[in-house]
Amino acid sequence: MTEVSASAARRGLRLRGLAENAALVAAVIAFLAPLVWLYSTAYKPAREIFQIPPALAFTPTLENFRVLLELYDLPSLVSSSLGISLGTTAVALLVGVPGGYALARSRWKHATTLAYALLAIRMMPRVVTLMPFYLMMRDVGLLGTIWAVVLTNATLSAGFVVWMMFSYFRALPPEAEYAAQIDGRTAFGAFLFVAVPLVVPGIVASALFSIMLSWNDFLTPVFLTGVDSKPLSVALLSAYGTKDVSWGTMGALAHFATLPIVLIALVLNRYFIQGLTRGMH
Amino acid sequence: MQKNRRALISPFLLAASALIVAGPLSAASAAEVTLNIASMNDPFGAAMTKLAPKVEAATGVAIKVDIMSYGELMTKTSADFIGDTGSYDIVTMDNVLTGQYATAGQVIDLKPWIEQDAAELDLDDVYPVVMNSLGGYGEMQVAFPFSGYANVLVYRTDLFEAAGLSAPTTMQELQAAAEKITDREKGQYGWVANGQKGPAVAQDWMQYNAQLGGSILDAEGKPAINSDANVESLTVYKAFFDKAAPPGAVDYDWGGREQAFRQGVAATMQTWSVGAAGYGDPAQSNVVDKFAVIKAPTGEGVEPKYGIGGWGLSINEDIAEDRQAAAWTVIKYLAGKEGQKELALLGAGGFVRKSTLADPELNAKYPFLPIIAESFEKGDGDYRPRIPEYPEIQDILGTAVNAVLAGDADPKAALDDAQARAEDLF
Amino acid sequence: MADAATQPKEAAAAAAASTHARPGLGQRLLGRFFPALFPPGEPLEAQRRLFLIALTAPVITYVLVFAVYPAIVGLSYSLWRYNLLRPHRTAFVGFDNYVKFFSDPAMQAALWNTAVFVVAAVILEFLLGFALALLLWRDRLFSRICLALLLVPVTVTPLATGLIFRALLTADYGPIGYWARILGISGERGFLGTPSTALATIVVMDVWQWTPLMALILLAGLKAIPATTLEAARVDGATALQRLTTIVVPLMVPSILLALLLRMIDASMVFDTIYVTTNGGPNNATNVLMIAAVKEGLEFFNIGTASTIATVMLALVGLMATVFFLLIGRYEKKVAP
Repeated sequence: MTEVSASAARRGLRLRGLAENAALVAAVIAFLAPLVWLYSTAYKPAREIFQIPPALAFTPTLENFRVLLELYDLPSLVSSSLGISLGTTAVALLVGVPGGYALARSRWKHATTLAYALLAIRMMPRVVTLMPFYLMMRDVGLLGTIWAVVLTNATLSAGFVVWMMFSYFRALPPEAEYAAQIDGRTAFGAFLFVAVPLVVPGIVASALFSIMLSWNDFLTPVFLTGVDSKPLSVALLSAYGTKDVSWGTMGALAHFATLPIVLIALVLNRYFIQGLTRGMH
Repeated sequence: MQKNRRALISPFLLAASALIVAGPLSAASAAEVTLNIASMNDPFGAAMTKLAPKVEAATGVAIKVDIMSYGELMTKTSADFIGDTGSYDIVTMDNVLTGQYATAGQVIDLKPWIEQDAAELDLDDVYPVVMNSLGGYGEMQVAFPFSGYANVLVYRTDLFEAAGLSAPTTMQELQAAAEKITDREKGQYGWVANGQKGPAVAQDWMQYNAQLGGSILDAEGKPAINSDANVESLTVYKAFFDKAAPPGAVDYDWGGREQAFRQGVAATMQTWSVGAAGYGDPAQSNVVDKFAVIKAPTGEGVEPKYGIGGWGLSINEDIAEDRQAAAWTVIKYLAGKEGQKELALLGAGGFVRKSTLADPELNAKYPFLPIIAESFEKGDGDYRPRIPEYPEIQDILGTAVNAVLAGDADPKAALDDAQARAEDLF
Repeated sequence: MADAATQPKEAAAAAAASTHARPGLGQRLLGRFFPALFPPGEPLEAQRRLFLIALTAPVITYVLVFAVYPAIVGLSYSLWRYNLLRPHRTAFVGFDNYVKFFSDPAMQAALWNTAVFVVAAVILEFLLGFALALLLWRDRLFSRICLALLLVPVTVTPLATGLIFRALLTADYGPIGYWARILGISGERGFLGTPSTALATIVVMDVWQWTPLMALILLAGLKAIPATTLEAARVDGATALQRLTTIVVPLMVPSILLALLLRMIDASMVFDTIYVTTNGGPNNATNVLMIAAVKEGLEFFNIGTASTIATVMLALVGLMATVFFLLIGRYEKKVAP
């Protein structure tokens, strides 16, 4: 009797596991299918991208990539995108990590509020800040360079970094830093050489978020960059003309606009989890 | 563990820094001056990019063409002008922005230079209406005509033949034919136009509006959006959508509309002449050999005038004088006889010169050129008002017409509302 | 580290620090203007504060200069009639822009649509994200691979998302839209062309793009729940559902609130996907505040109106965020020992 119910329970568990796996696989397919379609347009002749009724079969071609390389300065686009996202991240970490540390170690009662306030900078609609920022960048001569984008994007990222590192450092007992100071390190030395190495996963996680957000950003660079500093996210829309949508070219360009960040996410995704798990609790 | 992490990240960083260093270097060129051209992503954008080496050989000036979508082009160039940053030396100007360009004083008046080089430019070869609509504003010439388009009608010869119809010459004939051909069961529709909110639907409706005898401005140049003729034309436009257009057309912009015709979904379409070459290209089109390009129809009792649109080349006022001079040299080449023919051969699709449209080699390649020539002779480049307030007017119309097509407002009410909003602008 | 060892070390640190406790010039100057920073009789604490302030100063200064200052300047334009292309018509108009905003039916629709969009998208993303997080909870290779793949949409430019769905959903020849119309699932004019389904379709795009991020944040919250707590409940005979409602959800409230807050802020600024699909149409069905603000600000350079719209957006999000901050604060007080 008990044996029967035990095996039934086991079978139930196994069935549940199977159902869970099936649900996961279904979710993965649902979330990836639209992208697969976009990438596939890059290998289709223009006439076969849409068919009536829609069909899956097509004659593969690399023509779209040829057109892409002929019309776009791809190395410049990729380097602008990388420059913007890495630059934003560097600036955000440079000011954000010390800020997060200081707020975490502070006994000031409004430290938490300040950390949240910095995070809340995201709430400001870009449209408003862009124009004054544009004029500011013009006056310092940075307009049309990736630095204009880096400086404004990094305000958002820095807020996020401060907030995340704040949670991180707060979870870290300060004793090790005291010990280091006894051993002759300055307070700054203790921060840089003792505290920071202990929170590397958090730093990597917030860096990844920052890279992703600025890599995908469209509105800021479309406004602030020039011909030599245009990133991929903006170029993606350039492929979209009014007289005709060059879907194939866009699909080809999308490879370069999304795959790098996808690869980073795939390779480093455990940092997201690790960083977030410890960052919040 | 630590080592692993570094090993993972560092190749990526290395590659990144290599690209950052390599980026600017690869842009270097032998020419002394390199001009940046802000170009709309119309076929001429790609053509100019391909023509760049010849431009450099002919003028000694290197050009870098930045191809952009419409919204991006507007934002970038306006920001460049307002900020006096001079990022772009030459800007392709949509002819409807002539008024804005002229009054804002952000590009050079080309008049003195045109007069100085009149002989070289062979001005008689340029269609007068094109010269005026693609950059002329009062006494000023804020852009030099570069890529002129005529509004034409394309229709499916096979479907018209099967239905026993002849090519439509009036709007009424077009409407009747479109409705007759429409067969929802078979997924065959008689007609297509832009329905998407914003510039897309505004521009297409303004075209039909002019052909049906309507006008956006009154004789004094003030908005007359809710005139009886306009309300009537909007009623007709909606009837087209309801009875003959593919169902998705309410959300079509230019891309969707062109796709519908090339797919064979729609039997007729008014379009800019620039798209015509694509319908005969087997790589893009399902209707090769099954279409014809003819002059746009007009309403009964309305004097035939054919819509003119397109792009001129403007010179940014904020750049140094030597760059301005170099830019003028480039414009003279691109808009000159040689440049125009080269661009046409590369599929740019826009025309401004009589000699280009009469060229035998080009006529062999593009059989519809005489239609464009005829349309240019009786062209109307002002059916979309080229006033400084055009962008806002277009937006107001784009909202009103889309509301009607969506079935949320009746034509009279929508245009009354649009009129009130437009009056606020003046 | 043993307690016995820590105690003397801390004492020694205090001793070491006190040898150079004499305040420096900067501290004396700061102390004159901000006496509260340096309470008398606590030189060590004062020095420490100065150090912490020095570490915070860069980020605060940076944000003040590059975010807060432009924001204040930008928001102040809402009181002006100010068009960059027609600078000669600039005039101070007080609250005229706001009066116009609230009396314009198109803006009312945009305000309403934005609110509906935010609520619908965030709730759906939360529910789906939570379900995904539960499915991914068990730590195994399969889950990790699935998570990595699920994160891919997050990394796609929202513009591309809009373009992809627009193409897929086109009623006349889109791979999904065509069948949906033929089978009567969508309206005759397609999901995006029918006023009643257009906004819902935009919500679906947002859900597609951001549910995985929601799942990720929630998964992090799940992983932080001590296994022993759950095991104890299981031994006590609690069913899966009971465990979920009595242990898992209460323990996850902070991460749930955070995930909801972040998504709410970002969703209130939805723009890219609408910009390339319906441009706010049909009629006003998908008109949201950001579409209106970008059009006014970056296309017409009508800075006054754009600032007005943005101020309203800020107020809207600020209101929602405040409620959330209060909830978080309240909750943290409750659970804190």
